[in-house]
Amino acid sequence: MLSEKVRGEIRGVLRNYKNLRSACMAALQIIQREAGHITEADMSDVASLLGVNPVQVEEVGAFYTMYNVRKPVGRHHIQVCTNLSCSLLGAGHIVNFIERLLKIKTGGTTQDKRFTLSTVECLGSCATAPMMQVDEDYYENLTEERINEILDGLK
Amino acid sequence: MNGEKFVTLKVNGKEVTVKEGTLILDAAREAGYEIPTFCYQENLSGVGSCRICFVEIEGQKKLQPSCITPVMADMNVRTDSAQVIAARGAMLEFVLTNHALDCPVCDKGGECELQNMVWKFGPRKGRFTEKKIRFHEKDYILSPVIVKNSNRCVHCMRCVRVCSEVVGKAVLGVIGREAHQEMTSFVRSYLDCDHDGMCIEVCPVGCFMRLPYRYKARHWDLKSAKTVCPYCATGCRMTIQERDGVVVRSIARLGSGFNGRMMCARGRFGYDFLNSKERLKTPLLKVGGVFKEVSWDKALGVIREKFTRADPKKVFGVASARLTNEELYLFQKLVRSVFNSPNLDSTSRWNENASAAFISAAGIPGRGTGIYGAMEADCVFIAGAQISDENPVTDYIVRYTTAAKRNSVIIASSRAMKLDSSSRMSIRHLPGRLGSLLNATALSLYMDYPERLEGTPGIDGIKGKTVEGLGQVSGVEVSDIKSLAGVLRGSASVSILAGVDFLRFREGILGLRLLGAILKTLGKQLEILPLLDRSNQRGAWDMGVHPLFGPGYGEVKEKGLGVDGMLERANEGASDAFYIIGEDILSMYPDRAFAARALSRAGFLVYQDMFMTETAQISDLVLPGASFAEKAGTFTNQEGRVQAAEPLLSPKGEAKTDLEIISAIGSSIAPGFTGADPQRVFEEIRGGLKTYEGIFPGLNDSNGVMVKGSGNTLKEFEEVKEAVSDLGKNTSYPYYLITGNHLFHSGRLSRRSEILRGLLMEPVIEISSILADELGVEDGSRVMVNGRESGAVFSVRVKKGTPKEVVFIPENFEKAPANRFFKRGETVARVNITVHSSF
Repeated sequence: MLSEKVRGEIRGVLRNYKNLRSACMAALQIIQREAGHITEADMSDVASLLGVNPVQVEEVGAFYTMYNVRKPVGRHHIQVCTNLSCSLLGAGHIVNFIERLLKIKTGGTTQDKRFTLSTVECLGSCATAPMMQVDEDYYENLTEERINEILDGLK
Repeated sequence: MNGEKFVTLKVNGKEVTVKEGTLILDAAREAGYEIPTFCYQENLSGVGSCRICFVEIEGQKKLQPSCITPVMADMNVRTDSAQVIAARGAMLEFVLTNHALDCPVCDKGGECELQNMVWKFGPRKGRFTEKKIRFHEKDYILSPVIVKNSNRCVHCMRCVRVCSEVVGKAVLGVIGREAHQEMTSFVRSYLDCDHDGMCIEVCPVGCFMRLPYRYKARHWDLKSAKTVCPYCATGCRMTIQERDGVVVRSIARLGSGFNGRMMCARGRFGYDFLNSKERLKTPLLKVGGVFKEVSWDKALGVIREKFTRADPKKVFGVASARLTNEELYLFQKLVRSVFNSPNLDSTSRWNENASAAFISAAGIPGRGTGIYGAMEADCVFIAGAQISDENPVTDYIVRYTTAAKRNSVIIASSRAMKLDSSSRMSIRHLPGRLGSLLNATALSLYMDYPERLEGTPGIDGIKGKTVEGLGQVSGVEVSDIKSLAGVLRGSASVSILAGVDFLRFREGILGLRLLGAILKTLGKQLEILPLLDRSNQRGAWDMGVHPLFGPGYGEVKEKGLGVDGMLERANEGASDAFYIIGEDILSMYPDRAFAARALSRAGFLVYQDMFMTETAQISDLVLPGASFAEKAGTFTNQEGRVQAAEPLLSPKGEAKTDLEIISAIGSSIAPGFTGADPQRVFEEIRGGLKTYEGIFPGLNDSNGVMVKGSGNTLKEFEEVKEAVSDLGKNTSYPYYLITGNHLFHSGRLSRRSEILRGLLMEPVIEISSILADELGVEDGSRVMVNGRESGAVFSVRVKKGTPKEVVFIPENFEKAPANRFFKRGETVARVNITVHSSF
C-alpha cells in the first residue's frame, strides 16, 4: 500500500498531465525516492490512480533500468557507469574496489543495508569519467581516495 | 472516394498504381508478389520490428521494412533481389537464436508461421552458439483458456497490440527490453479479461496457446467444416474441427470470413457443448408423468394425431432464431400451410408488435447494411445496444475502425460498457427511457430546422414538448442532448447501430423511426444496422417466422399471435397444441411464473432441442434436434449477410436435423410436403423471396452474400404500444434491474459448454462502482438481490461508469433466472440489494 504522503504527491503531479497514463514515470519515481524500490503492490496502486491496467505500469517499470522493480536496495544505491568512456578510464577497477571495500558483489547489498552496488550503462557524463551515481547525485573523476571519502560521508 | 490521390511505382519491374499512403507491402501483394511478414497484422498499428518484410528500394542504401514504409511516386521496389533474400534468411536466423525450437511438443507444430517461413526462406543452419534465453521452465496458465510459453516468443507484439487495439482490454504488456522482453500479463498473473483468445489466434508461433486444445491433436489429424458461429447475430465465419468425433476447436482465419481472425470467447471456446453427454438422442414421450423413449414413427404418429385434431386457431408454433434459414422457412410453411395456424414467432422475449415496428424502423426489409460500410460514416450512433457483451466482435470492429477513421462514435445506453473508451461521447439514460432521449434529440434538430422538418412523419408527436422536459424524463443532461444533436447536424453521413434493448424495453422504436426520418430529410446519408443477439434472428424474420408478416416481409392473410398472445391464450386454456423448436420459453420469457403457469395449460406440448431444457421438462413430447455443427444450410446475420454452413458431424444417436424433423412432421400430416434437402429448400426461398433472389452463398465466399431489398415495406404499425415502466421513487426497491446476455454466455445454450462455464459459473450481478462503495462490496462479494416476489444470491461485479440506480443481471443463469424478477408487461424490474453475510 502506498503511504498517504506518496499518494498525495502522485495526485499532485497528475495535474501536469493531460493523459494520466503519461504520469506513470513520475509516479514510479516518487515511490522509488521514498522507498528505494518499487513493489508489485505499488504498481497496482499506481495503475488504479492513473486509471490504466497494472501491466501498463509494469511495462514502464521493467523498461527503464533506473527503476528498481522488485529489487530492494540499501539506504544508498551506488550505480557505477561501466560504459565505454568510463571503462577505458578504469571503471572496472572502480567496481572491484567498491566490491572489496563493502565486501559485496555487484548487485548485492551490505549486511547493514547501508549500500547496494550496481553497474549501469552510460550516465552521460563521459567528460568526467570514471563516474558513479549515488542516489540522485553524480560523483565524477573517481579515484580510490575520492570513493573512500564519498562513502564515508553517507550514513 | 473523391479527392484521393494515386501514385504509380514499380515493383519488380511491374508498374502498379495505388492510393497515396499505401504500404509497399500492400502494393507488392496487390501486384502479386509475396512478402513474408511476422509483426505485420492487418488492422493493427505497424511496428516494423521483425524485419522479415525487407525490400530493396532503388536509390536507398539500406533495405526497408515494407510493412511500415508507404509508397512514393516512381519508387522502384524489388522484393526478390539477392540482397533481400539473404536478409530474410539472416533475420530468421536471428529470430531462431532465442526461439525454443521445441516443435515436436508444441501445439503449433505444423501450422506455425515460423516453421513455414524457415522451411521456405532458410536458414538451414544457425551460426549462433550462445545459450538461449529461457524465461521460465514450465508453461504457465494465464486464464482458463490461455496457456503461455514465452520461450517460443518471436517478439512480434501482435498479442499486445490486438489486446489493446481490437479487444480494448490492454491486459497484455511488453515486460523488459530487447531479447529479454516478454509479452505477458501483469507479473504473469491470471488474466481478468475477455478470454476471447485473440492473442492465441494472432500468435504466429506456439507462445500463446489454447488450454482446452492442449496436446489434443496435430492440425493434419483434424477434419474441418466451415460454418457460422451460433452465438450472436454478428455471425462470425468460423471453421470447426473434430478428431475422432469430438470437436476440439473452432478457429477464424484471415481470408475465410468478414471477421478475419476475430472471434469472442463464446465463438472461440464455446464449441464444446457439441460434445456434451447430455445431448438428447431419442424422442421422449411423457407417459404418466415420466419420459419414455419412443421411436420416431411413434412420435410422428402422436404429433399427427394431436395436431390434426386441434383447432387451427389454437395451434401455436415457436422456432428459435438459431435455426438455419431453410429450417425456419420450412417451419413457417408447416405452421401456416399444414397446421393452418397463423400463430408463430421466433422468440419468446419480445412482443411481436415491438419487433415488427423495430424491423420497420431499422429498415430491415429494405436491404442489407454491412458493418464496414456503416463504420465509414462521419458519426456512428450506437443506441439500445449492449454491444460489448452481446456482439463482442461488432464491438471489436467498431473499436479498430473508428481508431483508424477517427469518426465520432456516440453511445447511448443505461450501462457502462467497454466500448465507451472508444467513443467520443457516452450518454447514460435511464432504463426504458431511450425513447425520450431520441425524441429530445429529434426535437433539438427540429428546433434548428423547423421549416425543413415540418411534415416529417411522427414530428407532431414531439411538438409542444421541450428538450429540457424530455431530457429530464430520460435522465440525460440537456447539454449532452444538444451535443449529440450537434454532432448529428454536423455529419454528412450517419450510421445508427440499433440493438435489441429497443425490443427488451419495447420502447424507443418510435423515437428511432422519427430520428431516422429527420436525418434523411436533412439529407444525411443514413445507414441503420440492427445489432441482434441470436445468430439467425434476421434470417428468422426474413423467412417470415413472425405472426404479422410472411416470408420476405409479405402480407399474411391472417395476423396471428406472438408468444405473448400465445401464452395468454394458453393460460386461458385456449391452446390445443404447441410446437416449440429450441426456444426455452420457461427460462427466457420475461415473467417466469406466468410462463410456467401458461405452458402447464398449453395442451399438447412438443419441444424440440439439443438438450433437456426447462421447457423440455414440462412438455409432453421431446424431439432430439441437431446443432449447427450437424447441419448444412444458410444463416443471415444482423447485417443481412447470407453465409453457408456445412455439417461436420452427424446428429447424435437417433437425433435428426431440425429440417428433417419439420419435413417429417409435414409429410406425416400432408403427404408431399417439402423434403429435407436444404439446397432444394433454399431454391424455394430464392424463388419466393425477392430478398434472396439470385443469392448463391458458397462455402468459400469469404464475405457471404448480402440480401437484397424485399420491395416490401412493413405497414406502419400503429398499434405498437411502447411499454413505459414506472421509474418512480421506490424506497423498498430502489434499483432498476435490466438484463441481457453476459459476455461469456448466450441464452442458455452456452451454459452447456464446460469451457464457458469455467469462465463464468455462478450468477453475477453488475453494479456501479458508486453503489459498490456505498454497500462496501467489491468484485466477488456476495449480495442478496430481492425482487417483489423472489430473491437470489449473486456474486458482485463492479462496473465504473454505470449510474448508481442501474443494476444488471445476465439472463443466462439457471440457478438464478433473471426472468424471475420480471412481471409481464413490465420491462424494467425493481430490486433491492443487501450484503449477503452468511459466508
